[in-house]
Amino acid sequence: MVDNIKVSGTLIESYLICKRQAWFHLHKIIPFQDHPFLEIGRLIDETTYERDLKRINLESVQIDFIKTKEGEIVVGEIKKSSKSKDIAKMQLLYYLKVLKDLGVPSKGILSFPTERRREFVELTTEDEEKLKRIVKEIENLSNESFPPPLEKIPFCKNCAYKEFCFS
Amino acid sequence: MNEIIYIFKSGRLARKDNTIYFENDGERKFIPVENTKEIHIFGEITLNKDVLEFLSQKEIILHFYNYYEYYVGSFYPREHYNSGYITVSQARHYLDTNLRVSLAKKFVFGSISNMEKVVRYYNNRGVNLENILANLRNLKDNLDSIVDIPTLLALEGKSREIYYDSFNEILKDSQFFMDKRTRRPPKDSINALISFGNSLMYTTILSQIYKTHLDPRIGYLHESNFRSFSLNLDVSEIFKPIIVDRVIFSLVNRGVIGVDFFDKRLNGIYLSENGAKEFVKAFDERLNSTISHKTLGRNVSYRTLIRLELYKIEKHIIGENVYEPFISEW
Repeated sequence: MVDNIKVSGTLIESYLICKRQAWFHLHKIIPFQDHPFLEIGRLIDETTYERDLKRINLESVQIDFIKTKEGEIVVGEIKKSSKSKDIAKMQLLYYLKVLKDLGVPSKGILSFPTERRREFVELTTEDEEKLKRIVKEIENLSNESFPPPLEKIPFCKNCAYKEFCFS
Repeated sequence: MNEIIYIFKSGRLARKDNTIYFENDGERKFIPVENTKEIHIFGEITLNKDVLEFLSQKEIILHFYNYYEYYVGSFYPREHYNSGYITVSQARHYLDTNLRVSLAKKFVFGSISNMEKVVRYYNNRGVNLENILANLRNLKDNLDSIVDIPTLLALEGKSREIYYDSFNEILKDSQFFMDKRTRRPPKDSINALISFGNSLMYTTILSQIYKTHLDPRIGYLHESNFRSFSLNLDVSEIFKPIIVDRVIFSLVNRGVIGVDFFDKRLNGIYLSENGAKEFVKAFDERLNSTISHKTLGRNVSYRTLIRLELYKIEKHIIGENVYEPFISEW
């Protein structure tokens, strides 16, 4: 049982990738930290966007970087690859929603430094409704006694929980 | 690839900026902190808090052994895989007798099954051990009816006694004859090898527990109340026959370790420094050797296999899967 959960951005991402992974996160069963992809992620985080404000903790979310552009606040999310762009986008939109709820309207920038690509995103009412539904579902998931059963999906291949799930 | 470092010499472990080194007779040996996850210390060393702080930051465990090569204790840095949920589930399985006994039984079942594998291997190669196999099978069949820990421990002890009878048949060198199992101090060479190997097994498993969410202080077969770590002892039961004992047979039967690799100290017989080095080398090789893992679909080293075994225990205590111990295929 998890009480008073605060939904973080990574939790939104996890939930959309694999509900089982989200359940683990909710129970603080963190993935194997020596996994090469996690190490790559940490390296990208350390070496990119050095000039901008980095890793901002706001309420429950941790934002990769924030900068201002022509008087507007731009929130950035850094990803290793654009493979699951739609999921990364939802994560970023969630930050925009949290900021909006705090009275700080902002725009988002999705960044893939290793691909030298980026994309701007804006929050719509439709997105907000969708995010509200996802948060509710995550809250329900946190009350589940057992993790959702193992289901082999393409994400398993590079997942840092793979050894846990398949042991 | 994670490195395991064993220090036999005496000297000083010190920090230099963002790395650590071992100094002995003015000679400095730097330790690669990013790849090292455990350091086993057999020599007499001095170190300071600065080193411990740095090791803690790098999540490196230190295991200490005394002059007699007995495990003394570990510097177990602040836990980095914290899950209150897992800890509470782990404790619940300890406090509820039924849950505790059923999990403890799995360790004994795994232990006896792996002993059988080892014995059968030699039985199939011309050493007649049918009697021992029959006795082990018999004990394993009795497991079902056990409802309390003391009876279970007694059965476990009995199985090991029977199993050790096979050693005199398996070991070709009569100088490694075992009269009976003796500890603290070991009375002969074979007992010295078993004690040393078991100590290494306990610390190796402790190092793997550190990489999981489990708390090493809560064990099931071994009593948690009277020692600091006990889960590693439980899990060791499964791996001792296939790792420690196989290393012993291989070292003795190939003649790598002979009786001149032992010292007599304080009424007992212990591995000499050279003997310990040879043992550690073979032990490490064994842990790094790989086997194919069916559900993971790739080869894993025995060291990784231990971590996977711990994950299975985690999944058992959170109620996801019933734990079934690893049983060697050969």
